[in-house]
Amino acid sequence: MQPSPELELELRHRLGDEQVASDPLDLYVFGKDAGLVRGEPGLVVFPRNTDEVATIMRLAGRHGVPVVPRGSGTGLAGGAVTTGPHVLLVTTRMNRIGLVDVENRCVWVQPGVINLDLSIHTTPFGLHYAPDPSSQSVCTIGGNVANNSGGPHCLAEGTTVNHVLAMEIVTPDGDILQVGGPAPDPIGLDVRGLMVGSEGTLGIVTDVLVNLLPNPPASRTILLAFSEVEHAAATVSGIIANGLIPAALEMMDQPMTIAVERFANAGFPTEAAAVLIAEVTGHPSAVDAEAELVRRLGASHRATLIRVASDEAERKRIWLGRKSAFGAIAQMNPDYYLHDTVVPRTRLVEAIEQTYAISERHGIPMLNVFHAGDGNLHPLMSFDASIPGVMERVDAAGKDLIEACVAIGGSLSGEHGIGMEKRDYMHLVFDEMDLDAQARIREAFDPGRRLNPGKIVPQGSRCFDFGRPPPVGAWV
Amino acid sequence: MSWVTRDAPRADELSSCIQCGLCLPSCPTFRLTGLETASPRGRLTAMSAVAAGRPVDSRFEEIMGACLQCRACEVVCPSFVPFGRAMEGARAEIAAQTSGVDRRLRRLVTARLLRSRMAVRLGTLAASIAQSSRLDRLAPGRIRGTVAGLRSLKGRPRSIVGRTRAAQGEKRGVAALLAGCVMDAWFGDVHTATVELLAAAGWEVVSPRGQTCCGALAAHDGWADDTRKMASVNMEAFRGMDLVVVNSAGCGAHMKEYDHWVDGGEELATRVADANEVVAEAIADGRLPRLSADGDRVAVQDPCHLRHVQRITDQPRAVLAAAGLTVVEIDPDGRCCGAAGIYSLLEPDMSRRLGSSKAEQVQATGALLVASANPGCEMQLRTYLSELGHTARVAHPVELYWEALQRAEGRAAVR
Ligand SMILES: Cc1cc2nc3c(=O)[nH]c(=O)nc-3n(C[C@H](O)[C@H](O)[C@H](O)COP(=O)(O)OP(=O)(O)OC[C@H]3O[C@@H](n4cnc5c(N)ncnc54)[C@H](O)[C@@H]3O)c2cc1C
Ligand code: SF4
Ligand code: SF4
Repeated sequence: MQPSPELELELRHRLGDEQVASDPLDLYVFGKDAGLVRGEPGLVVFPRNTDEVATIMRLAGRHGVPVVPRGSGTGLAGGAVTTGPHVLLVTTRMNRIGLVDVENRCVWVQPGVINLDLSIHTTPFGLHYAPDPSSQSVCTIGGNVANNSGGPHCLAEGTTVNHVLAMEIVTPDGDILQVGGPAPDPIGLDVRGLMVGSEGTLGIVTDVLVNLLPNPPASRTILLAFSEVEHAAATVSGIIANGLIPAALEMMDQPMTIAVERFANAGFPTEAAAVLIAEVTGHPSAVDAEAELVRRLGASHRATLIRVASDEAERKRIWLGRKSAFGAIAQMNPDYYLHDTVVPRTRLVEAIEQTYAISERHGIPMLNVFHAGDGNLHPLMSFDASIPGVMERVDAAGKDLIEACVAIGGSLSGEHGIGMEKRDYMHLVFDEMDLDAQARIREAFDPGRRLNPGKIVPQGSRCFDFGRPPPVGAWV
Repeated sequence: MSWVTRDAPRADELSSCIQCGLCLPSCPTFRLTGLETASPRGRLTAMSAVAAGRPVDSRFEEIMGACLQCRACEVVCPSFVPFGRAMEGARAEIAAQTSGVDRRLRRLVTARLLRSRMAVRLGTLAASIAQSSRLDRLAPGRIRGTVAGLRSLKGRPRSIVGRTRAAQGEKRGVAALLAGCVMDAWFGDVHTATVELLAAAGWEVVSPRGQTCCGALAAHDGWADDTRKMASVNMEAFRGMDLVVVNSAGCGAHMKEYDHWVDGGEELATRVADANEVVAEAIADGRLPRLSADGDRVAVQDPCHLRHVQRITDQPRAVLAAAGLTVVEIDPDGRCCGAAGIYSLLEPDMSRRLGSSKAEQVQATGALLVASANPGCEMQLRTYLSELGHTARVAHPVELYWEALQRAEGRAAVR
């Protein structure tokens, strides 16, 4: 239902004009996240605290208008895009960081706090917030919680769900609840765990108690290049088989490396078929031994280049390169589509070969970046949507890709969420009963469908879902 | 109604943005407001909305007008979106599609008066009289900040236009110094320092007649035809010069992008250099000396159009270090100070917030000297530092080096 003029007036009255936007141009600008789908909200609100969120939920509920939360809008699956003229609740003004509890290594943060800002804030205490999505310089903690986001360094540390201790949420009725607690494994039903990855469909997260980790005393970042993708994949398997879990283990294929190097000047060898970035952290003595092991394994799998970053500046450049991968591909074509699938690590090479075959078959260039350590593949399709017929080919290629990954034992979405984009593929990985169970959970939280309607569950299924990524292979 | 001018944001410029959002945290206005509509990505989306048929209305004007054109967003964009060009295009559209007294006034100032040496001189005379009679404190709200940031003015400053200075030692070539609109009238000491250092470094220095204001402020405000005229005049005036030296970061950045406006701009860009670049080079190859440290600390402020557009950060630091000063940093991100040309007059609230926080950062360094290579930034810093009651002196890096050099030579002469 369209927000009525009365709802807007009431919101303006309660929150102040500065906290409400309704000009058609504003609505257009807030009509997208970093994905492809567009959907214009009916009203945009910028609450500054939990009470204002509760007020918004209550007022919108009374007027029968659904609410959709939004952080920085870097989601790639349309999670923060409204499916109708709903109220878009933007959390960027809820960006206070509480007092850092150094002893217990945790801190309460509001949902609009930017991921990297949190780690910068805790640096003086020798602490950091572990999940580091490539978008960490811009994405919010609220968005991370909603998508259970991970990043290169989640291989050893786990994703968001492993770093959230408690949270305050505002329910669809506008009630304020606290779930979880400082204990890592609370008694009773783990509602906190349920909230993580629920993509804003169960409640609005208004405060989060996150766990902080001590900064590692030493780290080594190793860059390896290979003339064959298979050699790189074999090195990855070799590293894991040797019992080493690096802090990060990332891979890029050649087209990706070329695009990234142009921006980052990180010294990536652009002639290599695949580039591997491994990072080991820990005690100074241990990291040298581990770096040596990585080096040896690379050499035995015919690495054409093995370089250990000599200083922090070089290390930063390498990571800047890796983390700008998604942006850098636009140098090729105006549009992209990022897929996000997880396959068993042992079948990585197979999956990569499939992406190349599908790319060829549909004539859509694909670039690959992956969290190689846990089989999370990000094939990026690069295309120009304004060319007639291209979108159909992109769709067809995407469908083939997902089916191919599922066929070799993989699953959907390692980390970016299900949102609208992959909603209709849910039946590939969940059977009726799974979907039904998810739908019931959602119904229990939000019987009136007031929160983020139209997300995650296949169209026409009985109820709705909540979209935690399936456990198979995701962020081991 | 969409676009109506040839300068409008082009389809390829807009489609190069993939909306990844990586630019958001670098944008000062996004940081302060948390609004997508006050972010680079949001502004590009708004331009796309107009390209797709929405009108250039007052909300569009507001959204574009709040942009500082600081171009911090360009540096972090992995997709190389030419944001500054697109924003100049959007401003040109607004200028073409809207009217009103304030618009005409803005054009009069940025595109007409600054081109007229007579007008600038009259203004300078009036301001200097106001300064000496302390009437400047009665300036109306909006311009009070700007007036407070002025150096103490000479009523009848001596222009450098038409003057020449012979090279010392082996001659490297002819360097033309851009006189500039307000630089010439208000920052004579910076010009003197630049001319003397260029000469000492082996350049014959001229400041050709026939040159005019670089046109940056007109371009930023959307007066495209005026911008083109100014660029053409300067192209002609600087023809044949080996080097075109600019000691105002905003002017240099604009001249390095004359190709947006006139044919042959790329060629001129290869000859334009910021004064910091030339002096740092001369220091590096030994034509100018490195002076011994005197222990004074200098906080270095990076003008956006030096750091983000010209991508120059090392050279001013090298110049200051060679002056014997200890360089201290203000903030690692180099966030805009809020001066941004005439922005401080048009968007006083945003400008004030940025200016105050920059002044607080400077104060926190404890340095009593601040180096800034852009006149607008210098004035903004002075205004907000004095509001804090902080008595730091603000000056151009090249000027500080020149003073140190003279002191050193003076000492040597006494000995
Ligand atoms: C260049 C780039 C790189 C990326 N790299 C990674 C990566 O390495 N790993 C990864 O996991 N993801 C990655 N992503 C995806 C995205 O950044 C993450 O999903 C991120 O967590 C989204 O945060 P956000 O603040 O932008 O949320 P938004 O996009 O604004 O919202 C995402 C979802 O969260 C919900 N939501 C937001 N705030 C709240 C709240 N307070 N309460 C309840 N629900 C809420 C929204 O409704 C929506 O469903 C990348 C994206 C880009 C553009
Ligand atoms: S970083 Fe570049 S591509 Fe990404 S949103 Fe900003 S302007 Fe667009
Ligand atoms: S130019 Fe500056 S103010 Fe304008 S969008 Fe870019 S970063 Fe923001």
